[in-house]
Amino acid sequence: MNHRLLRWGDTLIGALAAGVVVAAFVFAYSPSGEARVLVISQAGATPQHEPLDRARVVEIHGPAGITHIEIEPGRARCADSPGRQNICEASGWLQAHGEVAVSLPNRLTLQVLGTEPGFDSLHY
Amino acid sequence: MTGDPHAGTDTRDRAIAALAAIAIGIQILEAAIPSPVPGIKPGLANIVTLITLLVLGWRAAVAVTLIRVVGSSLLLGTLLSPAFWLSLAGALASLVLLAALRPFAPRHVGPVGLAIAAAMAHITGQFLLAWAIIIPHPNLPLVLPPLLLAALITGGLTGILTAHVLADPRIQRHAHNPTPND
Repeated sequence: MNHRLLRWGDTLIGALAAGVVVAAFVFAYSPSGEARVLVISQAGATPQHEPLDRARVVEIHGPAGITHIEIEPGRARCADSPGRQNICEASGWLQAHGEVAVSLPNRLTLQVLGTEPGFDSLHY
Repeated sequence: MTGDPHAGTDTRDRAIAALAAIAIGIQILEAAIPSPVPGIKPGLANIVTLITLLVLGWRAAVAVTLIRVVGSSLLLGTLLSPAFWLSLAGALASLVLLAALRPFAPRHVGPVGLAIAAAMAHITGQFLLAWAIIIPHPNLPLVLPPLLLAALITGGLTGILTAHVLADPRIQRHAHNPTPND
């Protein structure tokens, strides 16, 4: 009754299985989410598409002032916006497919999109 | 000792039938338990497969597993339905991996390692069948990582349970090669 519960093979299999699980998570979830393009939608204007290829700052003029959008390879953020509660800035870097930042005073939404379609929910 | 040659096929067949009946019972009970996440269940019937493998050998384990898959699908009314094929694919995949690990058991690999390997193979076999034939959706691989994680956890748990069942003297009595008490 006092036999060991685990032998070295058990430990090895457990470690390999854990490695497979981690690899599966990394492999399945990381590549699809990368943002490739920023869509700037402003009320009354045609949505503007900015590829996330090089670092730059885009200025959008709105009813409340100027929104500075900072773009870097693979991500974008609302660097400065006229809203008093800093909600747009608080969204932080947008880097996964579908992430959104909103500036209500400037009637502006920013959304980054990847190449793969994202999911709102999953049913089965 | 049941090692004498006269015990032969009759005793062995009865043991296989009894183990298969237990496995079917466990599988039916498990089917009645609502799962928090669809597709994830503990796989307690695998305990019976592992016990059979470690006590009666690989061929008996194959027999018990196949009888369980067919028998439980008859009782659940899923024979030849997608659920049946998924169950069969999972069972065959784990049997193949258990066959590959057979030379190392029970000396280097115990029930826990076998159970984890079998659970991972089971979900992988099911997933491949589902992806190839039943739901060939390009994004189905996104559900695989959580299922693999669940298999790792449930496999470990069923392995520990198997070790406890194996340690029972009533099981040890039947073992050709009792687990080394080192």
